[in-house]
Amino acid sequence: MSSGPALVSILRQDSYLIASVHTALDDSEMIRLRNNLVEQIGRYRSNGVIIDVAALDVLDSFGAKTLATIAEMARLRGALTVIVGIQPDVAFAMVQLGMGTAGVPTALDLEEGLAYLNARVPRRPVRGPLGD
Amino acid sequence: MPPPAAVPPTPVPTAAPLPDVSELTVAPGPARSDGPDPDARAGSRAATEPITHLIPIVRRIVHARLGGDPLADDLVQETLTRVMTAIDRIDASMLEPYAISTARNVLANHWRGQDRERRNQHRALEIAIDGPSDSALLAGEDRSAMATALSKLSERDRALVLAHEVSGVDTATLAARDGSTPGAVAAQLSRARAKLRIEYLLAAEHVELPTPQCRAVLLALSAADRRRQRQLDAARHLLQCNVCAQLSTPLLARGKTSDDQITVGISVDADIVTARQAARELASRLSFSATALTTIATAVSEIARNIVRFAGQGEIVVELLRRPRAGVQIVARDAGPGIVDTQAALTEGYSTYHGLGLGLPGARRLMDEFQLVSEPGRGTTVTMTKWDSR
Ligand SMILES: [Zn+2]
Repeated sequence: MSSGPALVSILRQDSYLIASVHTALDDSEMIRLRNNLVEQIGRYRSNGVIIDVAALDVLDSFGAKTLATIAEMARLRGALTVIVGIQPDVAFAMVQLGMGTAGVPTALDLEEGLAYLNARVPRRPVRGPLGD
Repeated sequence: MPPPAAVPPTPVPTAAPLPDVSELTVAPGPARSDGPDPDARAGSRAATEPITHLIPIVRRIVHARLGGDPLADDLVQETLTRVMTAIDRIDASMLEPYAISTARNVLANHWRGQDRERRNQHRALEIAIDGPSDSALLAGEDRSAMATALSKLSERDRALVLAHEVSGVDTATLAARDGSTPGAVAAQLSRARAKLRIEYLLAAEHVELPTPQCRAVLLALSAADRRRQRQLDAARHLLQCNVCAQLSTPLLARGKTSDDQITVGISVDADIVTARQAARELASRLSFSATALTTIATAVSEIARNIVRFAGQGEIVVELLRRPRAGVQIVARDAGPGIVDTQAALTEGYSTYHGLGLGLPGARRLMDEFQLVSEPGRGTTVTMTKWDSR
């Protein structure tokens, strides 16, 4: 994982990728998260992505837009994305800001996120990176 | 995905002829003493007034003594910069006397080729930012000045400053211990620090105050108490008392007024996070809900990003307001290209089309008060406030 010193960790669970944000991210770190995720979706042929943003201090227009972009890029590569862990105060500010994660599915927490994906995308055993 | 905006090269602040003045004149701060000025946007000319009318006065003083010296303009600039730094801490009636005594100080230092004031300013800054907790890093002389200064405080003030600065006890804990409120503790802390700054300067410079009024005047300046400054006619005192005039510069020209204010320089992505976290931290000393704190942090994030994207460089000042109501005020300044049509920039559709994103209209919706002052080619100042409704 090339996302630097533990700002974000990306774990694989069969054909799903689970990205956990551990702290506030600045814009370039958000972009790095996007790039890492999209790269790994291709490398591991993932069909489901969960992004856990519970530790994010805010989701401003850039953060929300970046999440929406990740979901769209993942979709184009055949993976469904669900965002989990948006805190109530963060959600409130997003609504006031006039910014949603428009069209990106969300779930309360990791468990519900997994349930959401399981109901829609068959989780298959991992085949490992291409060229293994 | 925000389209990469064409960002014109940012003018790097230098000692070039008066770039800072053009930036700072659009700041809405100086013209008002209480409350937001509803007319600030249209009335940016009024806000320009306090500093521009000082320029000829300062020029006259400096040029009268330096003649055609090529350094004269630098000294005028230095004087005006110092006045601008102090502008929201002094009463409007004091601007002119303060500018005059500052010009004299700047000239005196120039002739002496001495750096004493700069040193003092640095010290005052250390006290304000790091507190005496970092006194281990100070030289022995400074350390003993600090010890002397602390000994001049009342028992109660000293205990408070030491608990907060040295032991790191937060205001909420201190308040709980004393059966007080965090706001009251913060206010007392800020008065104690205002006293400490004066005592420290006096001890460090081995200065005796010549008149009985001096200490009260210096305290009103150090505490940025404009009403008290008027009561004491501090303006006149500064013109008559050399010692106070000398001390006023390091007292006023510091980066941080008090515990109630923090300034974050903005130029790169990481500064956006620093600014919003600083705003949240400071605002949390009032009784804002978690939701309100996140709202404030989000608004700061938006305007900080605007600076990084469109101006390249600027600063955000977060300040707690106590009167007339408790709240947090955020002033974001840049010296960027400015916005030609501010009304349009605050309109959603326009902003999105023109790459401004949700920044300005979004921040406006998040806060209770919002003012945008911009002069094309000169810079933009956003002033926004969230009131503490609890
Ligand atoms: Zn005096």
